[in-house]
Order: sequence, then C-alpha cells, then structure tokens
Amino acid sequence: MATLEATHRAIDAVWRIEAAKVIAGVARMVRDVGLAEELAQDALVAALEHWPKDGVPDNPGAWLMRTAKNRALDRLRQESLHAKKHEELGADLEALQAHVEPDFVDALVEASADDIGDDLLRLVFTACHPLLATEARVALTLRLLGGLATDEIARAFLVPEATVAQRIVRAKRTLAAAKVPFEVPDASERAPRLASVLEVVYLIFNEGYSATAGDDWMRPALCDEALRLGRVLAGLVPGESEVHGLVALMELQASRAHARLDAEGHPVLLLEQDRSRWDPLLIRRGFVALERCRSLGGSRGPYALQAALAACHAEAREAAATDWPRIAALYAVLAEVTPSPVVELNRAVAVGMAEGPQAGLAIVDALRDEPSLARYHLLPTVRGDLLARLGRAGEARAEFERAAALTRNQAERRLLLERAGGTA
Amino acid sequence: MAYMLMLVEPVGQREERGVEAGKLVYDRMLGFAEALKQRGLLRGVESLAGLEKGARLQVRDGTARVLDGPFAEAKEMVGGFFLLDVATLDEALALAAECPAAEWCTVEVRQVGPCWA
Repeated sequence: MATLEATHRAIDAVWRIEAAKVIAGVARMVRDVGLAEELAQDALVAALEHWPKDGVPDNPGAWLMRTAKNRALDRLRQESLHAKKHEELGADLEALQAHVEPDFVDALVEASADDIGDDLLRLVFTACHPLLATEARVALTLRLLGGLATDEIARAFLVPEATVAQRIVRAKRTLAAAKVPFEVPDASERAPRLASVLEVVYLIFNEGYSATAGDDWMRPALCDEALRLGRVLAGLVPGESEVHGLVALMELQASRAHARLDAEGHPVLLLEQDRSRWDPLLIRRGFVALERCRSLGGSRGPYALQAALAACHAEAREAAATDWPRIAALYAVLAEVTPSPVVELNRAVAVGMAEGPQAGLAIVDALRDEPSLARYHLLPTVRGDLLARLGRAGEARAEFERAAALTRNQAERRLLLERAGGTA
Repeated sequence: MAYMLMLVEPVGQREERGVEAGKLVYDRMLGFAEALKQRGLLRGVESLAGLEKGARLQVRDGTARVLDGPFAEAKEMVGGFFLLDVATLDEALALAAECPAAEWCTVEVRQVGPCWA
C-alpha cells in the first residue's frame, strides 16, 4: 500500500511537470487542443494502470508522450483525417500508413524533442487566444499549461466547480469551431498576442496575490503557478523584453509575500512591512530578470516600468531609505506609456513623498472630477493622507470616512475607519 | 468566524423552471459570489447537482445500505452553499438577504462549529 501511494504521488508530480508538454506535442499532431488534452488524459490513465505494477519509468515524460502520441495516431486513423493532414504532418506520414512500431514512434519522439519548445509556445498562444473571454483563457491556461484539475482551478478562484468546467468546455468548443490554427502567431500579430498571454499570466498572479490567510491553499499557490509559467515563457521567448519585465515584476511582488499579512491575517501596507521578511532570493531573481529586460532595450515597457518601481522598494533597506524622486520619475514615464488616472494617482503619492504633501495634493486635486475615479476608494484615501500631513485634520477625516464608505473590502474599511478615528 | 449559507429548495423547482431560466438563475448566483469575493467575505462556494445524481448511505449493524436518488419522500433538497467569513449571525443574515436565491427558496444560515457543543 505504501508503494502504491508513493507511485501515485510520483505520478501527480510528473503530471504537473509534463502535462503541458504532452498536450502541446499531441496538439501539433491533431490540431485541436481539446482532443489533445483528452489523449493526454488517456496517457495519464494508462500510467495509473501500468506504473504501480511495472514501476515508474526512467523517463516518465517520454513514456507519457509516446503513449499519448500512439493514441493520437489511432484516433487520426479512425477519423480518416490522415488523407487531409498528411502534408501538414510531414514526417509522421509513414507512421500513419504503416502499422505503428514502438521503435518508430520512439524515434519520432526523439526527433521532435527539440521542437517541444515550439509546441509549448503554440499551446500558450492557443490557450490565450483573443477569441476567448478572459476567464476562459485563464481557466484553459491553468488546465493545459498548469496541469491543474477543474476543482483546483475552482477553489483557486472561488467559483463553483461546474462554472470552471463549463468555461473550459466552451473554450475548447470555440477554438475548434473557429478552426483556430495550432501555431505561434507571426511577426505582424506577435505583439498583441503576446500581450494577451502576459495579461493572463499576470491575472493568475494577482488572483493568488489577493488571497488572504484563511483562504484555501490553492489561492496563494496561484502566485507560484504564475511565476512558473512566466519563467517558462521567458525561456521560450528569451528575446521578448516584456516577458522578462513581467517575470521581474512577479518575482519582486512575490518576494514580499511573507511580510504582507500580520499575525491576525490582516494586510500590512508596503511601507509598514517588516523588510527582514522579504525573500532575498526572489529579489535577486527579480533584479536579474529586470536587467535582462533592460539589456533588450525594454525599459519603457509597462511591465518593465512596474518592475522598476517594485525594484525601488526592494532596494531600500527601510521605508525611510526609499528613493522617492526615482519612483516619481518612473511614474512620470509610466504616465506617458500607459496614461491613466490611476497611474496619475500613484504619481501623486510619489511626488507627495519626494517633494512634500502640497506638491502631491496639487496632482490629486486635478483628478477630483475624473469620472473613472468617482467610486475609487484610493482617491480619497490618498487625499486624506496628504491632508493629514499638511495638518488639515478635519478635511483628512472626511476623506478617510468617504474612502471607507466606498470600499467593499471589510479589512480595508476597518483600516480606513481607524485612520478616520485617529485624526482628531 | 465561519458561517454557511445553505440553499434549501423545493424538490421539482429546477425542472419546473427549465434550463434557460435555470441558467439565468445560475448567472445571478455567480454574480453574488463574485461580489462576496471582492468584499473578502467568501471562503467557498459550490452549486449542487440534482438528487437523481446523488445517493444516500447508512451503515447499520455493520451493513451499508445505499439508496439511489431521487428520494420519493424528499420535499426539500440542498441546492448549493456559500461558506462565509463574517463575525456575527446578523452579518451572515444580512448577506443571506442579499442572496438572490432567497427570493425563490430558503437560505439556511448555520455557524461553523463542532457537533458536540
């Protein structure tokens, strides 16, 4: 019994690492990610049947790949697609027309081992296809690339399992119905398609980052998953600066994970965090990724800029040592690259620290009629903070109370009401 | 503190409502769950499939008896649940009042705690 458990754990671990590659490799053959996933699952079932008896193979990934591709060849023959597809499949043609010998498929698998990077990339771009709604892209990415089960995805996003199952089914159907080709977008489409991929990865990261202490462990685990996907992506498209920018941003944000919550599980503001609890390894990785991004000339990319901002905080040994002028300058660049009222609000905070609360207040006051910020609780929060520092206590309290009324988040409301109460 | 909202619906309601109306109801509930999540109050949520997909089991005198659904005598069934993080029963009741399902079924509010208390 102990051996069986150990085998199952080993299979779980292997699956997490290999699932995406197997799905990607099969998808290139069958040109349908839904079918590819099914066939990969068949290989997993076969592993669950054989490995407890025969032992885990020396190269479990290759075993899974070979088994899945065998099933794929069977399926292709059954569905009589080979006539249409033989040109596309190129080297696999002989395998289709001949009785499949295990050695032949082995040779195929080895020959295409170098292509697995390309196949993974094709899978990434397919899962994040703009035809799909964002939640569908997220669910499909976690499923096909993360190897997560439906219930794991559901627990991670706090939605019913049936909903996640629905999203994935519909997503696969949409891709099949639209005959979305299993390919890496060409140069003309590359930038927006890559942006969509990065958006999905960062969405997954943020979902995990917003998890609080009492949550199911699947939620913070999303940060690790997003980081892993980002690093894999950086390995697949090393020449794209924004990918390194996003990885840098995630590494640096993740470095603060253990300092973000206090003993009661309430969030702690960045400037008040115990910096000895920031992870130096992740910080170093973040700096390395940021450097790669810069060396590729990507310093003005949105993720690169946000990573540079995170790096400013990571570099300061204590809050008082923060290089606020540099942060203000970075926000000024971000405001040019991706102008938005929220960016401007953040710039106001930085300027308020670098040049004093009056300078910051001038920027905030210019935003007061901004319609998109009308219900945004951080606007009165920032204004309240600046007013408090200028000694305008009564006005500050009114702003904190207004902010508390606007936020839907319990923990934040509590914090804001405390600040209002503390402003005499 | 954790509270659970259990949705108690009359047996047969789903069938009477039909698939299209049922999907609209489901979407409203998803919206409610999402709002709870944004407010940091949601610990878990699931919708439950019908009784015919379930079963009941009892072990008596060492023997297990399984009864397959649907259950002839059942008038009510649990349709789903929300697991919440709120401080008091009153807060849980306030959220139950916001739950769309309260309009067409009963929302039972239970505190999480040991069965021997």
